[in-house]
Amino acid sequence: MELPYVVVIILFYLGIYTIIMNKNLIKIVVGVNIVESSLILLLILISFKLGGTAPILDRKYELVVDPIPQALALTAIVIGGSLIAVMLALVIKIYKRYGTLNVDEIRKLRG
Amino acid sequence: MRRIYILALILILASLLFFTFYDLLHPTEFETDKTQISDYYIEHGVKETGAINLVTAILFDYRAFDTLGEATVIFIAVSAISLLATKERVLVSNTNFSPIVYQGISFIIPFLYILAFYLIFYGHLSPGGGFTGGVVIATTFVLLKMTFGIRYSREEKSLQRRSLIESCGAIGFIIVGILGIVRGDSFLANGQAGFDLGVAGQLLSAGIIPILNLFTGIKVGSGLAIIFHRLVREE
Repeated sequence: MELPYVVVIILFYLGIYTIIMNKNLIKIVVGVNIVESSLILLLILISFKLGGTAPILDRKYELVVDPIPQALALTAIVIGGSLIAVMLALVIKIYKRYGTLNVDEIRKLRG
Repeated sequence: MRRIYILALILILASLLFFTFYDLLHPTEFETDKTQISDYYIEHGVKETGAINLVTAILFDYRAFDTLGEATVIFIAVSAISLLATKERVLVSNTNFSPIVYQGISFIIPFLYILAFYLIFYGHLSPGGGFTGGVVIATTFVLLKMTFGIRYSREEKSLQRRSLIESCGAIGFIIVGILGIVRGDSFLANGQAGFDLGVAGQLLSAGIIPILNLFTGIKVGSGLAIIFHRLVREE
C-alpha cells in the first residue's frame, strides 16, 4: 500500500468530518473544498508512473504519465471552483436574510 | 456522544475505502489492462491532432464536447450568482494602500496580460491552455478592484460589456464546432474535417485547437471576473 493513497483517504474523510460536525456554513463550504482537493489528488495519483515525464511529446521520451486523468482533473477543478462560488453566494444570501451563519439557529428561525 | 458515533462511522467508511484502493492497486489476474485508450492517445495523439501537449489534445480534440459542457458550467454559475447577488450600491474597500502598492499593481498588470495570452496561445505546445489563461486574466480584474476600488471599473456598463464578451466566447466555440459539420464531419471535428494540422510543435499548428483555446480563455476570464464582481459587493 502506497502512502499517498492513505493521504487521500485521510483528506477525504477530514472533509466529510468537517461537513458533518461544523455548524458554521462557511466552514461547511471549506469542508466541501477539502473533499474536492482529495479527489484531484487521487486523479493525479492514478495517472502517476514512476520515472514518467509530463505528457508533452516534444522530444524523445520513454515513459509518459497517463494524460486522461490530468484532463479530467482540469474538469474537476473548473467545476469545483464554480460550485464553491455558487455556494458562497448562497451563504451571503442566507446571512443577509437570517443574520446568522449557524445551521441550528437558521433551522429554528424557519420554524 | 454524537461526536463518537460520527467518528466511528467515518473510521468504518475510511477502512472500506482503504480496502477498495488496496484492490485497485493489486489487480487479480482476471482483470485486463485498463490503460489501452491512454496508450492509443500517447501513440497516435500527436499525429491525429497536431498538438504535442496531450492533455490539450484530449481536452480540445478528443473530448472537446466535454469542454463545451465545462464552459457551460461556468456560464451557469455566473448566471446563478448574478441572480442571487443583490443589486445595491457598492462601497468596497475604502482602505488606502501605500503608493508602493498602487505603483506595483500598475506595473505588473501588462505583464500579467502577456502571461495570460502566452498561456492561451501556447496551450497546445506547453503547459497551460484556455482555462489557465482565463484565470490569469480574471486575476488582473481582481487585483485592479482590490487596489483601486470599484469606481475605476465603471460598474454596470463594464459588467454588461464583460457578459457580452463571455457570450462571444461561447458562440465562437459553438461556431467553430459547427464548421466541422459544414465541412462534412462531426461536431467539433479537427483533423477528420480536413483542417490544416500543420507541423506538430510549431505555433500555428493543430487546426482548431488554438482557436478553441482562445475562445475558452476569453469566456473563462470574463466569467470569473463577473463572479468576483458580484461576490465582492457589500450592503
